[in-house]
Amino acid sequence: MKMSELRSGDKAVVISIVQGTEVARRLSDMGLTKGAEFRVVRKAPLGDPIEIKIDRFLMALRVEEAGQIEVKLLESGRKAKKVKSNG
Amino acid sequence: MVKKRTQISVALAGNPNSGKTSLFNALSGSHMKVGNWPGVTVEKYEGYADYGEYRLRITDLPGIYSMEAYTPEEKIARDFLMEKMSDVVVNVADGTSLERSLYLTSQLMDMEAPMVVAINMYDEVEHEGIKIDFKLLQKLIGCHVVPVSAVKNTGIKALFDHIIRVYEKKIEVLKNKTEYREQIEDAVAEMSRIISSDRELMEKYSARWMALRLLESDQTAYTLLKERAIWIKLGRLAEEKTRLIEADGQGGARGKITADRHAFARGAVKETVMLPREEKKTLTDIIDSFVINRFVGIPFFLFVMWLLFQMTFTLGEAPMKWITSLFTFLSVSAVRIIPAGLARSIIVDGILAGVGGVIVFIPNILLLFLGLSFLEGTGYMARAAFVADKFFHKIGLHGKSFIPMITGFGCSVPAFMACRTLKNRGDRLATMMVIPFMSCGAKLPVYVLLVGAFFPQRAAGTMLFAIYLFGVLMAMGAAKLFKSTVFKGESEPFVMELPVYRLPGLQYILVQMWIKAWMYMKKAGTTILAASIIIWALSNFPVDGKINADYGAKAKAVAADGSIKAGDKPALLQALENERLSEQLKNSYAGMIGRGIEPVIRPLGFDWRIGVSLVAGIAAKEVVVSTMGTIFALGGSGKDTEALKEKLRHDNVFTLPAVLSMIVFVLLYVPCIAATVVFHKESGELKTTLFYIAFSMGTAWVMAFLVYRISLMLIR
Repeated sequence: MKMSELRSGDKAVVISIVQGTEVARRLSDMGLTKGAEFRVVRKAPLGDPIEIKIDRFLMALRVEEAGQIEVKLLESGRKAKKVKSNG
Repeated sequence: MVKKRTQISVALAGNPNSGKTSLFNALSGSHMKVGNWPGVTVEKYEGYADYGEYRLRITDLPGIYSMEAYTPEEKIARDFLMEKMSDVVVNVADGTSLERSLYLTSQLMDMEAPMVVAINMYDEVEHEGIKIDFKLLQKLIGCHVVPVSAVKNTGIKALFDHIIRVYEKKIEVLKNKTEYREQIEDAVAEMSRIISSDRELMEKYSARWMALRLLESDQTAYTLLKERAIWIKLGRLAEEKTRLIEADGQGGARGKITADRHAFARGAVKETVMLPREEKKTLTDIIDSFVINRFVGIPFFLFVMWLLFQMTFTLGEAPMKWITSLFTFLSVSAVRIIPAGLARSIIVDGILAGVGGVIVFIPNILLLFLGLSFLEGTGYMARAAFVADKFFHKIGLHGKSFIPMITGFGCSVPAFMACRTLKNRGDRLATMMVIPFMSCGAKLPVYVLLVGAFFPQRAAGTMLFAIYLFGVLMAMGAAKLFKSTVFKGESEPFVMELPVYRLPGLQYILVQMWIKAWMYMKKAGTTILAASIIIWALSNFPVDGKINADYGAKAKAVAADGSIKAGDKPALLQALENERLSEQLKNSYAGMIGRGIEPVIRPLGFDWRIGVSLVAGIAAKEVVVSTMGTIFALGGSGKDTEALKEKLRHDNVFTLPAVLSMIVFVLLYVPCIAATVVFHKESGELKTTLFYIAFSMGTAWVMAFLVYRISLMLIR
């Protein structure tokens, strides 16, 4: 799934990032690379950008950019939601 | 006799928000100086510290996450480090977020510069219960590692010691390097052999670094190397190696090198850092769960902006009044001391008015930057951008455009300066272009005069609101237009760190504030002064001797006339003097320009008198009102606006459509000289500044024309 589809509280790991863009470079410089585990902290009040926490580091990126990041959900923020999405 | 100290140049390099600036302050104390990096508007912080027999010259480089540079700031830091412009590099790492810091460290290791790593915020590291194995970390990084806390001022002496030991080459730690996968190490080894044969190049650069950068297809390295004689061999080899590395189908050299650096940083942290078992909720988490949550986020953001605006312009009002009174006092004294004539006029109306016009903005600038530095220092600024970004992204701007635009309601001068927080040139210029549409404080007296004269009292408030709203809508529309045409595609991606909340040091804030004010004074001061004198000259020359003689004679006649009561004479004389000034202005260069442009402004419903006022208004927008006062022979003091309103109401040029048209024109046309000069300083290009003048003039004309014609049709 894409990072942009995650909900707040979800824990996930980066599978791949569309390469070749400035955004990808920047994300990598800031530690968001393949294999990085992170948690979605929240979405901005207007729904975009989203805030994530990697390690102890908080960063924000736009939904548009998060759409270029393939992730694997590790742990859903809300247990009830998890059942639903699996079903 | 004082022994001359040996100088060591030291550069501080590290991630943004790693506490680099606080460490810089802790190291250099009060011995700091702020300048500009050559050729760019990026501030350069330098300081020195005497330690033992050395004098350390310290440069605080702009914060970077890696040697990949996008912004002017980042390029400066990259070039400085790449060209080894310092004897020792102090790599400032955030101890609470070491993995990210070590990514940059791995690149610095590749550059093989003499280096010390300072693990900053060590007080927080201890507080959070994080344990770091320094011995092992030193071994892995291959250089001295010193725990420091810039804020608590601990470890500073040790850092000095280590800097000097590195300089004296008394290094105990074995050099290490970032270990890349074999295929890359092989390629690097072969390539650096060729690169290191270029002696001249080796004086500045590291062969290993250049080889790596070439494999990463870095433009800077490529441009540099392809000029060299070795390129014949190197170019072919690089191509061959790149192909070889890609051959396994697991990605290109660039991706692999990056991955290995991350692996190094991750591995080093895994081996040396023990995190506390349980991750506690930090203070930042708690504050954020309130100030940027779904419900409070926007109201809180608006509240902070309101507070910033209030502080800048309400608190600034009193000192501005003092400055104005000081200059009034100076003018009055000058009038008393200097006999009437050209000398008095140039000093009072030219120089004093000009200097006063520059200095009067200082309280605003100081207060605005006090607020901005505080917001930046605490970490809220990034959050403000986070909250506002969606809206601004829609109109093509960036979340960070909000603060400059709000500031524009007060004054465009500090607003343009606040645009520096926008790193991307396209975003910055687009924001700067539309700031003047955010109606500034100086335009208000013009609206008050015109609205007051032509609208009933109860509609005045609504009318003013409509004017401001119109400006905001124009700004949004123009921003959208710019970002989809002239500044297309040049957008800063919103990938931003939300730094941990910290209480910024007082020194940091004061220094930041002072720098901004000083830069304004230094850069804008001289130009604005010169421009004010030119405008003064335009409205005062040529002096028509005949008019002066005529009015002199009339005044004498009044004075001598026995039939007029002595008590009435001062008023009559004043009226004559006002008429004289009006006549002189009519015949001055400004008057000629006003009449000259009449054909151009006629379609907007304006005559030459409005033309003169608008030309004079380029000096400062309030001047539009006082110039109209002069033209209508009421004196230029602007005290008697009631009389002026009365005159306007009975003037047949000032019809309702013409008044609306004039309001729109004043709202949109080029801002005052001071603002234009600052715009130019910030944009750095004459081309852009001219475009900006043409754009605002053009927009003002077109919109005023439309408003005039449409309201003519509607009213008829």
